[in-house]
Amino acid sequence: MKPLGTLRTGIASMALMMGMASTAFAVDLEFYFPVAVGGKAADTIQALTDEYVAANSGVNIDAVYAGSYGDTVTKALTASRGGKPPQLSVILSVDMFTLIDEEVIMPFDELIETDDDKAWLESFYPAFMENSQTGGKTYGIPFQRSTPVLYWNKEAFAEAGLDPDTPPATWEETIEMGKKLVKKDSDGNVTRWGVRIPSSGFPYWLFQGLTTQNDVILANSDGNETYFDDPKVAEALQYLVDLSTKHEVMAPGIIEWGATPKAFFEGQTAMMWTSTGNLTNVRENAPFDFGVGLLPGNKRRGAPTGGGNFYIFAESSDEQKKAAFDFVKWITQPAQAAKWTIATGYVAPGPATWETEEMKAYTADFAPALVARDQLEFAVAELSTYENQRVTAVFNDALAAAITGAKSVEEALAEAQEKADAILKDYR
Amino acid sequence: MSANKIRLPTFDTVLNTFAMWFLAFMWALPLLYAIWTAFHPAAYETNFVWNAPLTLDNFKSAWAAAPFARYFFNTVLLVTMILVCQFVLCTLAAFAFARFEFPGRGILFTLVLLQLLVMPDILIVENYKTIRALDLVDTIVAIGLPYIASGFGIFLLRQTFMSVPKELDEAARVEGTSFLGILWKVYIPLAKPTYLAYGLVSVSHHWNNFLWPLIITNSVETRPVTVGLSVFSAIDAGLEWSVINAATLMTSGPLLIAFLLFQRQFVQSFMRAGIR
Repeated sequence: MKPLGTLRTGIASMALMMGMASTAFAVDLEFYFPVAVGGKAADTIQALTDEYVAANSGVNIDAVYAGSYGDTVTKALTASRGGKPPQLSVILSVDMFTLIDEEVIMPFDELIETDDDKAWLESFYPAFMENSQTGGKTYGIPFQRSTPVLYWNKEAFAEAGLDPDTPPATWEETIEMGKKLVKKDSDGNVTRWGVRIPSSGFPYWLFQGLTTQNDVILANSDGNETYFDDPKVAEALQYLVDLSTKHEVMAPGIIEWGATPKAFFEGQTAMMWTSTGNLTNVRENAPFDFGVGLLPGNKRRGAPTGGGNFYIFAESSDEQKKAAFDFVKWITQPAQAAKWTIATGYVAPGPATWETEEMKAYTADFAPALVARDQLEFAVAELSTYENQRVTAVFNDALAAAITGAKSVEEALAEAQEKADAILKDYR
Repeated sequence: MSANKIRLPTFDTVLNTFAMWFLAFMWALPLLYAIWTAFHPAAYETNFVWNAPLTLDNFKSAWAAAPFARYFFNTVLLVTMILVCQFVLCTLAAFAFARFEFPGRGILFTLVLLQLLVMPDILIVENYKTIRALDLVDTIVAIGLPYIASGFGIFLLRQTFMSVPKELDEAARVEGTSFLGILWKVYIPLAKPTYLAYGLVSVSHHWNNFLWPLIITNSVETRPVTVGLSVFSAIDAGLEWSVINAATLMTSGPLLIAFLLFQRQFVQSFMRAGIR
């Protein structure tokens, strides 16, 4: 093998010299992307990548489907530690601190050169940038981002004697309307609940809607401090627990995330909180007239953001970094972002995208898509810290313990804060 | 059966039979649910109506969601390659451990056994580095390579070979048969049930393996069916059980059919090989 290897190196270096001479040396990029909304998203990414490559002859981009969000971060980190990182990847925005900690990503600021680049960096909604910046630097560019919204069944509202076009605007109204919406059969079993706030898998996300509405944040922007034992957090958790136990407008126990849209279609709940990623699904499958609205508020309106950002990996050549930067810039331009949003239901990341003809036509036909945009004004960063998986796991366990009644609200939260402190103390 | 032999079943038998049917039913329930949803429109996912319309649309949309034909080809190639290599390597190693005296045998065998204690997932980064050093990233060989020297296979075959009567071995030697000849004519035929049982475990494990293939491969040309299946876990958009279950049936179908066809042989070989 050795002589062949030497020969290969020889040819490669010759090609390199020739390439430099003619300046047409191709840059190869590897780009990992996760899919969380079904097969269509993968096709759209592939199509957009192909379009870019066709227009830019010096660049080859290998778009690699990398499984779920969790699989993608595992694959990217394994490849990085194994010495062959991708140049570009879409990974959850909340994994930013983990990726910084592993020293695998680089800030976009180093690649900003022109005023045009600077303007581009400013063109995204601030709510999305909260999860993308730390220490004054930008590490992620929002791409497949979402936010939870309220879906309600207009027919059920009318049947319960409520105005079908007015969803609850406050916590109190959720309880009041919920009580009217609950339907029982002759044996006293509930056949329709008032509201459904899923709590399986990653309960912290929707719960963060409640804490934001109660005017409290869960972690600082440096990602090394959490506020789980704040009395306002406890108040929000108590409200969530009370919805099932005291007011009986929501099914008791842990509520499955994946089964929630189905329960909504089947009329087992009159309202549900879930991601805007479900818009297309609900539009296609709900057998009744439905509405989409902002999450109800308490002290204020509020919701977290969620979803994935673009990251550029540090261990790439300068040409690769430049090409990766150029690609990210291109794919987040209004024309491309509009295609992506329409195909998947993700929230377009900048105001300019909503002004494109395609988006205007889309929202004219399907107004609920605008709700997500309007909610961004009230949205905050999704819970994200160093050692993110461990910290959120601690918090999720506390929420589950309180929801199932295994622990009191205060006890569960105090314990979670203590554990989070222990994990994060090295980062302060 | 003569009339005087008919007895009322005892309480014990009734209980046993009931428990068996109950357990079998519980075991089959997810499969039955998968079959139900896969052949009915999405509206009947949670409504069990006897005359619900049957449909193959779920299979159609599942098949269209990923290049499954290529994925199937890759998976078959992968499990065949792994199985053949494992059989060759494990047979030779097990034979050496079972029938030869050589210095360091005990230590070497302990090292092989230690492999059973290590979860393969822990080694992902190290394996990745090795595969990269061999320049094999994104190949089918790379998916299989870390699993070929199977500690479990060596251990299992060694135990089986040790139980082969020494007299048969000696008789063959007296006849002047070479070592490899003895292995081929005496040991391997007697270990057939073990091969069958181990083969089933190996094939089903690698057919279902997901994380490592996902990490080490990048292209459609090298990826197995499990990676194709993962497209359906769309948590952001709500799960479509009917399509997911159609895809699951489709991908696990070949294994299920093979198992049903060779059920008797499998069960017997599991009993004989002592894997339960």
